[in-house]
Amino acid sequence: MAVVDRNGPIADKWTRLADDAPVPRAASVIVSFARLKNEHNSLFSTAAGVGVEIAGDVNLKELEPFLPRLGVIVVRFATMRDGRVFSIGRLLREQYRYSADMRAVGDFIPDQALFLLRCGFTSFEVAENFPLASFKQSLAAYSTWYQRATDRATTVRDLRRENAPSGSKS
Amino acid sequence: MYIYDKFDHTITRERVAEFSQQVARRLTGELSEDQFRPLRLMNGLYLQLHAYMLRVAIPYGTLSSKQVRKLADIAKKYDRDYGHFTTRQNIQYNWIKLEQVPEILAELASVEMHANQTSGNCIRNVTADQFAGVAGDELEDPRIISEIIRQWSTFHPEFSFLPRKFKFAVTGAAKDRAAIQFHDIGIQVVKNDAGETGYAVYVGGGMGRTPVVAPLIKPFVARTELLSYLEACLRVYNLHGRRDNMYKARIKILVRDLGPAEYARQVEEMWPLTRAAGVDIEPAEEARIRAFFAPPPYEKIAEPVASFVDARAKTRAFAQWVQTNVHTHKVAGYGAVTISLKPIGGIPGDASSAQMHAIADLADTYSLGEVRVTHVQNLVLPNVKQADLFAVWQRLGEIGFAEANIGLVTDIIACPGLDYCSLANARSIPVAQQLSERFADLDRQHIIGPLQIKISGCINACGHHHAGHIGILGVDKAGQEFYQITLGGAGDETASIGTLLGPGFAGEDIVGAVDKVVNTYLELRQAPSETFIEAYRRVGATPFKESLYGRR
Amino acid sequence: MAQAKSQNKILTGNRLRNGETVYYTAAGVWSPYVAEAKVATTPEEADALAKIGAAAYAANLVIDVNVIDVTPGGAANPAHIREVIRATGPTVRADLNKPVTPPQR
Repeated sequence: MAVVDRNGPIADKWTRLADDAPVPRAASVIVSFARLKNEHNSLFSTAAGVGVEIAGDVNLKELEPFLPRLGVIVVRFATMRDGRVFSIGRLLREQYRYSADMRAVGDFIPDQALFLLRCGFTSFEVAENFPLASFKQSLAAYSTWYQRATDRATTVRDLRRENAPSGSKS
Repeated sequence: MYIYDKFDHTITRERVAEFSQQVARRLTGELSEDQFRPLRLMNGLYLQLHAYMLRVAIPYGTLSSKQVRKLADIAKKYDRDYGHFTTRQNIQYNWIKLEQVPEILAELASVEMHANQTSGNCIRNVTADQFAGVAGDELEDPRIISEIIRQWSTFHPEFSFLPRKFKFAVTGAAKDRAAIQFHDIGIQVVKNDAGETGYAVYVGGGMGRTPVVAPLIKPFVARTELLSYLEACLRVYNLHGRRDNMYKARIKILVRDLGPAEYARQVEEMWPLTRAAGVDIEPAEEARIRAFFAPPPYEKIAEPVASFVDARAKTRAFAQWVQTNVHTHKVAGYGAVTISLKPIGGIPGDASSAQMHAIADLADTYSLGEVRVTHVQNLVLPNVKQADLFAVWQRLGEIGFAEANIGLVTDIIACPGLDYCSLANARSIPVAQQLSERFADLDRQHIIGPLQIKISGCINACGHHHAGHIGILGVDKAGQEFYQITLGGAGDETASIGTLLGPGFAGEDIVGAVDKVVNTYLELRQAPSETFIEAYRRVGATPFKESLYGRR
Repeated sequence: MAQAKSQNKILTGNRLRNGETVYYTAAGVWSPYVAEAKVATTPEEADALAKIGAAAYAANLVIDVNVIDVTPGGAANPAHIREVIRATGPTVRADLNKPVTPPQR
């Protein structure tokens, strides 16, 4: 497994912790949501960093109390068609104001990464043979968008406003 | 009509480049078929029985003559010289080569067209009333909000992998010519008590395996708040729609399972968040798009137009055609012509490149350069002067498209069926052709009056059989094609779902069965003015069942 | 009418690059003409065809790969109407129909 962000491969300080493994000191660990709920006190007091992996059926209200102390949220695609991931990303950012790393994992393809970034994701856990060239190419596919999203990228409407003849701005 | 600015062009061009790159990666094998399928579907590219099929979007059914010519040229250069207009105001090409799709997309982009999101589990082409802008009964041109929705939904980062496909339809008039209650979201332009124009939102209609007439979820949304409301509607669906069973994945199932009131409540709860996200359209941008749909420069013409009145009096066939194929125009002295793509014995919705070129020429000469596509698989010349109608009728006769049958029994909707479609269980087109031959006598058609026959070759219902006054559904019975009859469906503002009459009929018996149904109606109607659907609603299915299956 | 029972099967798919309907032949190539298809007459031979199809799919040569039934009449007679239409073209456009054997040169 490798981790990439919009610029390419990045060093990853996070390690997965199995539900029955002891919590190591001075390490940054990603745990299941069940374990986070059960052991959050010892996790937050022992580990150097705590992250959680969630799936499309997550109840974000249950996750809410832990959000300020989480260093990464990993959201898993059940299949590449699991579009819930995109909405979960937006809700975490826009409703719950989660601001640390948000990472997609699972069966997605490079062509979906661009939309994930637009929905607030910041990194991707991918297989070693992930086609980086296609990933970078697909991230550069569009110079603008029709609709505003979490990333607040420049939209066509922004450009039209800037382009409007002076005096017609509203 | 809407004209792309440089930003629309940029995005369309970037999309062509992106898909070209995806095709290249598929051909080298970097993308597997499983990975490529959702990508190609989002570009309207299917694999059918004989080849790839490309579905090109005709947003809200509006085309310029230039675009019609391009569609014709693509048919000639990359396909087998014809195209098929569909019930969703798209055009389909049946013999497409994957390796040529990038070129075709570039050709389409040159005339401000695309195949974006014409399939896949995303927001599909927005459809609208074919008489938008020319109908006297509309509150507002539905294409304004349709274009706004088209732009908002294009490459939407959150809603491109929904549980299932998602279809919008918009009507600007109380008389619904867009079948809005059979769509995932149907939008009707309305006025509130304060006299402000806004939108009523129906959610959760559809055909397919589980036909549902959409309930009204929100009676009024203000003009500049609709996009955030729609985004809330979609987000609730994206999060909670079923993904475990593709036959239960449409929003109609979610709305039914939650109940319309609970669904509406969840949308309301989500709405402040989507509103804060800044997706709503600014008044200046709304006005910019609105301006494209301002009425064209009509001439002042006094009615009656003498030459038109004379021609009707002298030529009975022309008078009959005017009666069925010319719709009242909001401007005096004009008419909106429906071009019947249903010649007797023909393939519903098919047009050759030569026919398309002839129609583009007619549009330029007589209809201010504009053509529309209807969900009944016909075309429309929306702006024809009454004085020109006779010439238009004559020219349409020369290309085989002057059948005076709009709204009548031979104006049949048929999906491509098993002749082309890999999902179909039975053929649709031959049934339509045989029915059309059986009812060819135009005088008899006029005696029968308004009657819509709609044929689907499988339960996916692309032929809208649930909404047919007479619906025909093709099924596979132990390897043989069989056809079930439903009666009483309607796709207008009185939307209803047809009732299955009984066991299906073999291919050689279906035409006779429909004929019996029609004869039963003729016998039981109270007056020639009582239409088939009115009579059916009065008497119910029983007399028709008895005529087909005998008394029980 | 009941179909005559037959064990006979052929291998079919569509070419990836152009979508053309094709059949796997005894010569080991994919032909557009159904009569040229190699006929498997036993379950073992049908399994072998399925494996060839899976390999051709994996090699990105063909998609929508299926082993289909043919009648005792031979490869040119697929058992199901869907496959008859796939082999010869839409029944409503005789002008676009495809012969079951290659045209004589």
